[in-house]
Amino acid sequence: MTAAADVQTGAPEATYRGGGWRSRLLTALLVLPASIWYLFLLVLPLAIVLVFSFGSRGPRGGFTPTFSLDNYANVFRAVGVDPFINSLWMAAAGTVGCLLVGLPLAYYIATRAGSRKGLFILLLVIPFWVSFLIRTYAWFLILDPQLAVAAVRDLLGNPEFNLLGTPWAVLTGLVYGYLPLMVFPLYVTLERMDRTLLEASKDLGAGRWATFRQVTLPIALPGLVTGSILVFIPMMGEFVIPQILGYGRTFLVGNALYLDFLEFRNWPAGSAKAVLLIIVMLVTVTFYLWFINRGRRTRETSVL
Amino acid sequence: MTDQERIQRMARRPINRRGFLSLMGASAGAAALAACTGPAGSVRPSGAASVAPSASAGGGASPAASFEVETELLTYNWSDYVAPENIETFKQRFGVENFGYDIFANNEELLAKLQGGATGYDIACPTAEYVTGMAEEGFLQELDLSRIPNMQHINPTFRKTAWDPEDKYIVPKDYGTTGIMYRKKLVPEPVTSWREFYDLTKGKYSGKTVFVDSMGDVFPFPLKMLGYSLNDNDPAHLKEAGDILLELAPHVHSLDSDTYQVKLANEEAVLCLGWTGPIVDLRADPATADTQYIVPSEGTLYWLDTWVMLADAPHPNAAYAWLNFIHEPEIQKIETESNGYATPNDAAKALVDPEMLADQAIFPPEDVIANLEGSLDHSGVQQRADIWAEFKSKIGG
Repeated sequence: MTAAADVQTGAPEATYRGGGWRSRLLTALLVLPASIWYLFLLVLPLAIVLVFSFGSRGPRGGFTPTFSLDNYANVFRAVGVDPFINSLWMAAAGTVGCLLVGLPLAYYIATRAGSRKGLFILLLVIPFWVSFLIRTYAWFLILDPQLAVAAVRDLLGNPEFNLLGTPWAVLTGLVYGYLPLMVFPLYVTLERMDRTLLEASKDLGAGRWATFRQVTLPIALPGLVTGSILVFIPMMGEFVIPQILGYGRTFLVGNALYLDFLEFRNWPAGSAKAVLLIIVMLVTVTFYLWFINRGRRTRETSVL
Repeated sequence: MTDQERIQRMARRPINRRGFLSLMGASAGAAALAACTGPAGSVRPSGAASVAPSASAGGGASPAASFEVETELLTYNWSDYVAPENIETFKQRFGVENFGYDIFANNEELLAKLQGGATGYDIACPTAEYVTGMAEEGFLQELDLSRIPNMQHINPTFRKTAWDPEDKYIVPKDYGTTGIMYRKKLVPEPVTSWREFYDLTKGKYSGKTVFVDSMGDVFPFPLKMLGYSLNDNDPAHLKEAGDILLELAPHVHSLDSDTYQVKLANEEAVLCLGWTGPIVDLRADPATADTQYIVPSEGTLYWLDTWVMLADAPHPNAAYAWLNFIHEPEIQKIETESNGYATPNDAAKALVDPEMLADQAIFPPEDVIANLEGSLDHSGVQQRADIWAEFKSKIGG
């Protein structure tokens, strides 16, 4: 896209006097802080988790260095594959939920809000500053069987109706908790959209839905992909929301990890599950990206 | 391209990039402001911050022998587990200005902190079964009992326990049982044994039973029901117990250690496998005054919370003063009435409010005490861990 255009005009090279090595040094220095950050806070912890997954539990819990594949062999022994499957389902459903709520919201703020754009963004961001746990407990109160839900109960005539403790409560919590992460990338992409393309599309005879499908959606696609990934990955590891809103009845990978690390103090077993979770997420996200970008290359140049 | 550019510039809204950036700046500013006035990050009511420094005159009260009590004592405890007036009395009598009270949520957190290298604490309050492990790892100091003469008041049942056969590390704090709590108004059937609890949970009150979220407290239920010791780790016996738990899993409402009394109060649950602490409040409220707590006839575990001194305690004299002070009968009586848990101190027990003494939930009668077993730490037993993980994953069906 624009990067291709830059290379053709040779713009970056021309701004640095003195040729190649100095510009490379400058680039390296600029990237250094972020690299150090990622090295110590991402690569190193992941390496530790990987090493731990091959160890075994100390006599009072914790980790003793050995080399054993037992942890991987036993990953499914107690809880089976269910937590992984449940997590995939809940994360996928949560992502779709965020999309259904977030896309119209982002579209509205980007195109229709006009001068109140800033206000809406602020309203979206402010709750995000409040602790995640408190926001989850807020839903615990909202869905309290003795408050609002009681009214729905009367409406449906079903005395046993309850949302807390069901996967629906967990889904609500997930969508609410991660909505801003979906809205912001979508908003940024939609905000940059060239409005004249929509007019052109209408001039060429496309209806509103066709315009949305063939013009807006492809333009929003990068934001959509970013938003989906930003939302899907944390949801896979969630355990607080299922524990509080789901009463622990929806058992996800996060809950299994919590048990291993904090109740059994069996760090190697928990690490093995964590590594497996990372692999599952890598596979899923890679597949997702491939699926989305299948026919992309040809379409990209025509839109921009 | 220039025409295109011109058209684009006309179509572009004025707020665009500049407006967005200034908005973000405003948000960041507001965030910084919020952070300044931020929440009190620490949960500990550190003595120096929250309480005015006490008068240094200890009134000349006799300190232990010739040891000078330091002006600080740092404790690591469960939340709300010491009567505030006792802390005040201690501070004034011994001239301790700073009484630190840090909080942990469960024994695993305490252990994890110590294993992670936390230092600076004098006194901690683990449950007895963790003391063995902590002592083995060298976190605890052996106690010189001659400096704690008030240990003489402790009932012999709680001396030389299975966890500390030579009384080297433990000063007992309080004890309680894990049993069955239920709403008598909503459960007219007799509930006197684990077997009845099992039948009711599986049958009539399916979906209305809450268990505490604690492996060590739930396992005694099937083991005792089958007639085994709750410290039994025989694989065949554990399998039988596991089968019972898995049978019940779909009928359990939830596993909840923190808000099970709330669920009993709003009738989401009618039966509960839990601890005795909340019963005082539940009984006090007229809406839930029908709550009963029983120790099942097959027997159950008793837990013992203990005072221990940490190996690297920076203020050992203050720590010994506290350990002796807390078991003065009058002081211990205030503790008991404030916490709602039974005291192992016989002299204090005689002073406790008779209404509380008569409450069998708090002070079990002698014959029930005979049926109680102390539970050792089984968190490393793989079979138990597997059963518990499977049980948790199948809750609520």
